[in-house]
Amino acid sequence: MISSYTFGIYPRSEELIEATRKNTENLDSLFQSETEGYISAQKNANLGFVSDPLLKWDDIFRPFSNLSEVTPTALNRIYEMNTFYRVLSFDGSAFTDGGNTVKSNLDSSLPKNKTVAIPEPFTFAELHTSNEFKRKEDFVINLAKMLRVEIDSLVESGFEVIQLLAPSIAYNKEVDFGVVSDALKIITDGLKAKTILHTYFGDVSTKIESLLDLPVSGLGFDITTTPASSIEKHSFSNKSLTIGIINSFNTAIEKPQECIKQVDEINANTKPKESYVSNNFDLEYVPKEFAMNKISVLGEIARGAKDV
Amino acid sequence: MSKLFPTQEIGSIKKPADMLKKVKDPNVSDEEKIKVRNDAALLNIKTLEDIGLDIVYDGEVRRVEMYEEPVRYVDGFEFAGRVRSWDNKYYKKARVVGPVAFKQNFHAEEFNFVKDNSKRELKVPVTGAYTLADWSYDEHYKSKDELILALARNVVRPLVKDLVGLGAKIIQIDEPAATTHPAEMDIFRESINESVKGIDAKFVVHACFSGNDYKALAPQMPEIKAEQYTLEFANRDTWNTGLDDDARKGFQVLKLFKEHGFEGEIGIGVSDVHVNEIESPELIRDRILYAAKALGDPTKVYVNPDCGLRTRTREVSFDKIRTMVKGAELAREEIK
Repeated sequence: MISSYTFGIYPRSEELIEATRKNTENLDSLFQSETEGYISAQKNANLGFVSDPLLKWDDIFRPFSNLSEVTPTALNRIYEMNTFYRVLSFDGSAFTDGGNTVKSNLDSSLPKNKTVAIPEPFTFAELHTSNEFKRKEDFVINLAKMLRVEIDSLVESGFEVIQLLAPSIAYNKEVDFGVVSDALKIITDGLKAKTILHTYFGDVSTKIESLLDLPVSGLGFDITTTPASSIEKHSFSNKSLTIGIINSFNTAIEKPQECIKQVDEINANTKPKESYVSNNFDLEYVPKEFAMNKISVLGEIARGAKDV
Repeated sequence: MSKLFPTQEIGSIKKPADMLKKVKDPNVSDEEKIKVRNDAALLNIKTLEDIGLDIVYDGEVRRVEMYEEPVRYVDGFEFAGRVRSWDNKYYKKARVVGPVAFKQNFHAEEFNFVKDNSKRELKVPVTGAYTLADWSYDEHYKSKDELILALARNVVRPLVKDLVGLGAKIIQIDEPAATTHPAEMDIFRESINESVKGIDAKFVVHACFSGNDYKALAPQMPEIKAEQYTLEFANRDTWNTGLDDDARKGFQVLKLFKEHGFEGEIGIGVSDVHVNEIESPELIRDRILYAAKALGDPTKVYVNPDCGLRTRTREVSFDKIRTMVKGAELAREEIK
């Protein structure tokens, strides 16, 4: 058995979509019951770490629009997806509110073994704008400082594993790993929690060496875009490895035995310090019924895979 | 068309509220719903004609939406549920669970009605194979390419062939997903060519703007069997009048099309469909004149909004089209 978790935004049910659209009286209780339902589903699947389904988050960056001197602006496409996020404009020099932005947007009923995912600074800077910081590097570093305050607050309240979402590192052809590393150092230096950098929305086969040098506890890969054969060429003896085996972009439900075999093969070849299985990106790209099935299958894969 | 700078719409216009109310009302009879839809289609056709549009259609007033409408009538699809577009806006997404196949011409009633009620040239919008595949979950085919080609050959081609058989002369293949995956332009080209293979009509391809600024599309354009592309330019152009490159920032990519050897027509988007502000006729004029100069031939320039106008109110939409027609008149006067 290996460990497991999910990350990102879960899909709203048809009922919740309609209730949100009509702003019905029972909207808050519906959000709460659906959140609790997803938390229960993760517990029932025996996932190693449980995450908030983030049902109230309109996109993975939206809570940060509540920071001082940050303004939500135009919609922009999420990479090559048919889904859009709102670009945030960071207009001041100190956009922090003391680390309560993410925490205050998470459900309080999460169990002790909990995890949370937030965008890493390079991706954050790539997808948003700043009137204050003209140089991208300065924007990245200042975002890292803001995120560190958020993460410290999360760790203090019991989050043991922090997922750092890094789609831009995967998607962009050119990545300045020096800047990425400097920003991650700000986030992870002396942190009393594990940090796992998740790459998705692009093949990182040629970037794995650089990724292995980054100051994070582990790396996560979407194996629908980065082939397992590329990952298997590397040793993960000093890093945790998360295999994003559940495909959030297809309704086809994974076959547990095939997945277990694949996970065992990857782990045997990479010898990671610790092994996890997860989704490849936000489950909200499939409707709720399919997301629920996929959580259950994820648990089955984790239970069936050989311990490392 | 002999007239310079012919004006046209891209496709969708916001549906009249009273029509929507009646078609959703379970107490309204089917006969009444047919009448209500016909009335709304007629209203759109006549409004566009009265404004002076050269090429018209019905504002897609009968269609649910450009993806859901065709998928309802194609074998091999099953709706999975709704997926977020943004915030709390969702679209229905379907699974491909078997071989895709054309069952019936789901635009026949719509086309016949427009043909019977307009003397103008008609341009029929049809959702393309690439977009249908890209916006679906594929649980059946071995690869995305295989699904795209199956849709092109077994769904879009028979549909287009049937529409042409009914008298359609201009078909616009709508491909909003095309430019979102720059690395997939080869299969996109093949899908269009397979969709139109052996059919005698004028083909127009509509592709929305994405971060790539049509740079990946440009090299493919001469190889795609389309006479015209209707594309977005206004949404990244300045609102200053003028014919210099700085004023016409949004239209720079036209030069690239020419460099890659494309010699066909461009339906230039002169109105931004994402804002309510109405462009002035003088601004429209300058966008047209700039495009004519960039392409080196004014007869290659058609004039349209960037995209479908359904996200604007009907009032704003028709005002934008009205101004577009005035701008085209001003441009014609300059060219005389």
